[in-house]
Amino acid sequence: MKLVKQRGETWQYELNQVEADLLKQLLKNLPFTGNVPVKISKADADPKSIEREKLLNESLAEHRKELKKQANNLIVAGKLNSGEKGHLLALSAEEREILLQILNDIRVGCWQALGEPETMELHTPRDSKPAQAYQRLMDLAGYFEHHLVGT
Amino acid sequence: MDWTRKVNPVTVIKKKPKSDDNLARTYYVICWNDPVNLMVYVTHVFMKIFGWNKQKAEKHMMEVHEQEKSVLVREGAEKAEFYVHQLQNYKLHATMEPAE
Repeated sequence: MKLVKQRGETWQYELNQVEADLLKQLLKNLPFTGNVPVKISKADADPKSIEREKLLNESLAEHRKELKKQANNLIVAGKLNSGEKGHLLALSAEEREILLQILNDIRVGCWQALGEPETMELHTPRDSKPAQAYQRLMDLAGYFEHHLVGT
Repeated sequence: MDWTRKVNPVTVIKKKPKSDDNLARTYYVICWNDPVNLMVYVTHVFMKIFGWNKQKAEKHMMEVHEQEKSVLVREGAEKAEFYVHQLQNYKLHATMEPAE
């Protein structure tokens, strides 16, 4: 995956066949994990803080639902088209941010499913099959994230 | 004693008692380290949400990475809450802590 053109608020990436298939598969299967409640503060909880935390978690759950809808739109709206050298992915600035959030949702979700390991060690054949699958998905999401913002 | 002498009145200013309503509380918006978010991604998110240039965003990202956390901004409750929501939408580990 590489950035081939950026004009104003539009980004165009080129993906090979394998990358295009993997990206489609990733987007189709969102979300991989359920909602994990987050804390809004590490300080002692006061009534205002509890209320804020409740709102934050409700808002995040809504946001994930919206991401799921947007993920479907990114696939069906013909954003990923066959080109001469592979597949072209054309994204507006907003779509690029949505795709990044979707990919990172997958990445963080897989990390949580793995038990939030402190170190990102390479997976080994001793890992269970589900753990290996989560590890692969996490790596894959990271691969696309890196190419989206690292170029 | 001269009873006709005028005495200037003393003005007493009573201080209002402090309360939460009168104080504009501020909060630090803090981003905490985790091993999962990519450095390039964190930098991008800081640039996007705070409108920072790459240099400033990378400085804060490195603080998170090396010192386990970075204080990103100090704001009133409403704006601090807004930033935490934005950062959490990107799945960064962000909280708001009272600045006292």
